[in-house]
Amino acid sequence: MTVPVVTAQSRTAPPPRERRTRLWALLAAPGIFWLAAFFIFPLYVVLCIVFGQIDPLFRTPIPVWNPLQWDPTQFSYVLTHIVGPNGVYGPAIVRTFVYVFVASSLCLLIAFPVAYYVARLSGRHKGLLLALLIAPFWISYMMRMFAWVNLLQEDGLFNKMLRIGGFFTPDVNWLTGQPVVVILGLVYGYVPYMILPLYAGLDRLSQPMLEASRDLGADRISSFWRVTLPLCRPTIVAAVLLTCLPMLGDYFTSDMLSASPKTSMVGNLINDSVQAPGQTGQAGAFVLLVFLVALLPMLYYIRVTSRTSEVST
Amino acid sequence: MPVPSRPHRHGPTRRQFLARAAILAAAAPSLGTVLSACSKSGPTSAQPTLTLASPDSPVKWDIPDDNKPIADGLSPEKGATLQLYTYADYISPDGVKSFEDKYGVSVEISTFNDTDEAITKIRGGSVNYDLYFPSYDQISRLVSGKLIQPLNHSYIPNIKNVWPSFTDPWYDREWRYTVPYTIYTTGIGWRNDIVKTDVAAMPNPYDVLWDPQYKGKTAVIDDWHTAMSMVLLREGITDVNTSSEADLKLVGEQLNAMVAATSPKVTITMYNDLPAGQLGVSQMWSGDIINAQSYLPEGTSADILQYWFPPDGKGLVDNDLMVILKNGKNPVLAHLFINHMLEPEVAMQNFTAIGYQPPQNSITADSLVAEDFIPENLRTASVKPEYFDVGYRLLELDAANQDAWQKVWQAFNAGGS
Repeated sequence: MTVPVVTAQSRTAPPPRERRTRLWALLAAPGIFWLAAFFIFPLYVVLCIVFGQIDPLFRTPIPVWNPLQWDPTQFSYVLTHIVGPNGVYGPAIVRTFVYVFVASSLCLLIAFPVAYYVARLSGRHKGLLLALLIAPFWISYMMRMFAWVNLLQEDGLFNKMLRIGGFFTPDVNWLTGQPVVVILGLVYGYVPYMILPLYAGLDRLSQPMLEASRDLGADRISSFWRVTLPLCRPTIVAAVLLTCLPMLGDYFTSDMLSASPKTSMVGNLINDSVQAPGQTGQAGAFVLLVFLVALLPMLYYIRVTSRTSEVST
Repeated sequence: MPVPSRPHRHGPTRRQFLARAAILAAAAPSLGTVLSACSKSGPTSAQPTLTLASPDSPVKWDIPDDNKPIADGLSPEKGATLQLYTYADYISPDGVKSFEDKYGVSVEISTFNDTDEAITKIRGGSVNYDLYFPSYDQISRLVSGKLIQPLNHSYIPNIKNVWPSFTDPWYDREWRYTVPYTIYTTGIGWRNDIVKTDVAAMPNPYDVLWDPQYKGKTAVIDDWHTAMSMVLLREGITDVNTSSEADLKLVGEQLNAMVAATSPKVTITMYNDLPAGQLGVSQMWSGDIINAQSYLPEGTSADILQYWFPPDGKGLVDNDLMVILKNGKNPVLAHLFINHMLEPEVAMQNFTAIGYQPPQNSITADSLVAEDFIPENLRTASVKPEYFDVGYRLLELDAANQDAWQKVWQAFNAGGS
């Protein structure tokens, strides 16, 4: 076998590898700078506002830069109002998770077959289909939501269609406080973001591996179940993350398609309090909560991908 | 020779880094808690107190030495760009155009969604707006924070066109800092083709917003003070600036009951949503129902629009202001612009465009209906001077009370279960 020889060689040849590392470090520098300037630092600013003071006159936030002087009042206000007798934020947080979970599951149900078809079965139409899949990105998210507002209006096309069908005569107000509409809005808005990474993953799927599974006697279903699916698990996790994380902070969909407190998500809580005098710190506390929650699936993703690389070497 | 330990050339892996970041992030809050014990003795500057104006205790604001009005007889800034900061659709483009033509300057309009957001941006100071259009519920903060400058009356002779009660108002005696811009009532607007109840004839018309038969067809104004005061008035509590904990608790409960009964929209676009048929009944500003006429779909008669405000005037009555910001670059033009907006023709033109009535002597409810400016069915939306004698005002609240109100509002916005 040649494989062990190759690895041994690379281990006994440090100089080129050393140089390469330095080069890569240099190439990574802009990215690291970007991360520090636009992620780490802003996150610190958020912390300084959450644990900062409030201007007594204007009730605008005064960031406190020294962690030794941080005041946890605002953060603990939010924490103590999530559950219990004063739990005003709890329902919105639970609602957010339910919406995001349902919406991502639906996204996956829709996106996986589409991506699978385009990547593996579409043959010479692949390019065209891919272009069509990217097409929604040409129109801004806001415009697409406005289109839905039009369609779902009381005298909109959707209700008219239902009426002609004749099986559903009462007029439904889709645009006020309907969780279903908000969830479907999320699905509609984010499904392209799910299809593209899935497509990329499925397209790269190793053909010999699949052929081998068929050669070794697996039928179509078990080859899909035991080879295709495990191989694209990191892709699926990445795709779900790519849609879940922005959904967790989404406020716009609920604002456009409902605007009712009944469908408020954490994003709406942040949006409502960030400009309200004296509540900016609370908005920051919600941002931190979302961040912490989003971190868990991120860590899981890293685990999944690192495990696959262990397996594949 | 001791071998120095090899430095880690590769640093933490991405995984390690993220894990550490997670620990750091998770630990940060508790760190704050631990450290807060030491920080309690931190610097707390002397609390500046707000002087809160009300009709019962009028205020004459000081003109401090470092914030004097501009001198008399200055010529307007040449080739300047006057910066206005206002709500969307809240000033007539024609009125602005005629000012530009008259003085050979350009006017730029920036918009905000609510005045809380606006004051934050003004304090940020990134843009030097010249004119700002708030309500009097910010006046104390604006004056004590020296965000606005006193007016030089010699530039504004058109003040004579304004209702006399507004030339010496309780919130700004001797109109030292402000000029009135618009007046409005807050009541209930509805479409009589969607809502079959005659709201005005109900024993308590506010109840319509809690009526489950209009579920999904209602809205309240997305402003904590305006919406919550309506709940107080429904309960017969007329102190719409209350600091009573029990009252606020009641408001919170009633807001939740409203969500359960009608799941209202919380928005400020009812002037569009009601004529478009997305809403049947809504809490509304009088200016919005007048404005709504121009948003009706083709072929729909304006007769379907209705507005209720307590006929005895015992409802929410307020006015907005024009003020000159201290950091503006064109104070002379700003004075001239205020004077321009107080011209009767410009004021009327502005009213036509935005639906909000200016307190001009030449405009009365009867003249408006007589001139076919508003239809008979919206006569209730015109603002009468006597409303200001009996109506209730949304006043500026002190910090603690504002905080209490906003917490109730935030809980409402979070939506319950």
